[in-house]
Amino acid sequence: MNAQWLIARSVLIEAVRRREIYALVLVSTLLIGAVMTVDFFKLEGLNKFYREVALQIMSAATALTVIVLAARQLPREFETRTIYPLLAKPISRFTFLNGKLLGVMLAAGFCFALFMGIYLVGVKYIGGDIPAVLFLQYVYLQMLKMLILATMSFWLSMLMNLDAAITIGVIFFATASVMMNAFTFIYPEADPLGKWLIVALNWLLPQLDVLDLTEKAVHAGPGGWQPLSIGMMGMLTGYALVYTAIFHGLAFLTFRRRAL
Amino acid sequence: MTTPVIDVKDLVVDYGTGSKKHRAVHGITFDVQPGETVGFIGANGAGKSTTMKALMGFVFPTSGEVSMFGNRCGTVESRKRIGYLPEVALYYPFMKARELLELYGGLQGLRSAYLKERIPRLLEKVGLGGKDESLLKSFSKGMQQRLGIAQAIIAEPEALIFDELSSGLDPVGRHDLRSVLMELKAEGRTIFFSSHELTEVETLCDRVVMIHKGRIVTSATVAELMKPLNVFEIVFQLPAGATMPETAARFNPEQDGNHWRIRIENVEAYSQAISQLAQSGATIHNTSSKSRSLEEYFIDLVKNS
Repeated sequence: MNAQWLIARSVLIEAVRRREIYALVLVSTLLIGAVMTVDFFKLEGLNKFYREVALQIMSAATALTVIVLAARQLPREFETRTIYPLLAKPISRFTFLNGKLLGVMLAAGFCFALFMGIYLVGVKYIGGDIPAVLFLQYVYLQMLKMLILATMSFWLSMLMNLDAAITIGVIFFATASVMMNAFTFIYPEADPLGKWLIVALNWLLPQLDVLDLTEKAVHAGPGGWQPLSIGMMGMLTGYALVYTAIFHGLAFLTFRRRAL
Repeated sequence: MTTPVIDVKDLVVDYGTGSKKHRAVHGITFDVQPGETVGFIGANGAGKSTTMKALMGFVFPTSGEVSMFGNRCGTVESRKRIGYLPEVALYYPFMKARELLELYGGLQGLRSAYLKERIPRLLEKVGLGGKDESLLKSFSKGMQQRLGIAQAIIAEPEALIFDELSSGLDPVGRHDLRSVLMELKAEGRTIFFSSHELTEVETLCDRVVMIHKGRIVTSATVAELMKPLNVFEIVFQLPAGATMPETAARFNPEQDGNHWRIRIENVEAYSQAISQLAQSGATIHNTSSKSRSLEEYFIDLVKNS
């Protein structure tokens, strides 16, 4: 069997057996359930509000899973010394890292699939349409977002301790949207140096918001949002893969010469 | 000329940089030939594990060359024919023994069908028969060490590198492990291991490499090492007014009442001392010879360096 798949399988087994994902799914579902008990003055269209909140909570919970799972992979291997017998086998450090990334992404896929299952059941229960194409595009772009977060967390975990890597990863995820909106808002008022800095940050940090189709997936329909074109999907895929390659490359360069 | 399985030339390993730089290994050179069983011994912090890690490519040499089967250490090629047991390793607690061995066997390129048949036999061999489906979180330290041995030999490698061989094993475990190693040795496999159990080294090894403070202090066959380890003791009484014979005087005689006692570590000097004592009219009360163990030799070596 392929070495990367074997390593990925071990990550997936851990994710599935440790029960953290189930706990997170349960807590998130309870949270969504709690939100749905609120009936704002019998307003119409609350159905869409519930669906949007549900998707946002599910996306955040999956991101949290990915950040924690990815950030702890390598430090945990060093700490428990499980890395020695693994790297004593005829595999390169690059293969090892790729296997770990693949495993984290499989676990993310598993977690997100659980959420999506609950979402689809929920929508069937409360009523509403699922725009098939746009919904699939939403799922695909969410997974690309998770790929960026996973590679970034791997790299951060090579630079700092586990707690710091998780904290920075979570802060980045939580503030990415606010930060980018703030940049757009202050850019016209900034001096030349400030403008240069904003543009630099704009390219340096991945803008996760561009990969988020939550609102479109909820508000799609006649007269509403339509699926993205193939060209746009290609560009978004390229955008995500460039950041993935950068973070993964940086993680590998740091890991490659690290004494164990 | 055959290519050595392990070839270490002028290996230097430093940890840290700048003022925090610490030299763990100071230019050591040794090799391990095919079919040899070589023990690597040294006190804690002597540089054994660092050397082993350099062999496996876990740490990078500051200078010098390290190769296995002619391939530079750290490359994928160098690890293809090696089985390695780390000093202390825990195994994924969320996995079953079978799954773990499937992982390691698969990484070694073994096919699933072969592993299905091999794993139960292998677990039996290391004393974990019937534990295929047990989760590793229920394994004791000794059981984990046995599992470590199983993962090291799963692909029937030509050479085995064991860091702290019997660490964590109880006497029964050590005995079982020794049997496994004897079997592997009889099959002609090359074994290079470090251990604090010097009786184990004495029993298993063809050759011993001793390292102290990052430098090789001895590299010799066990037979060569044991040769100068014989100590002869003579207890005698000199006639009144007689002077101590020259050879006996050289070995720091200790006086105990009327008796003198000398210890000699050289068989020629021993014969000479006996003959001179007899000529001087001394009464020899007792002679005995005692073999020092490798452990005593090693302790003396460490204390005197």
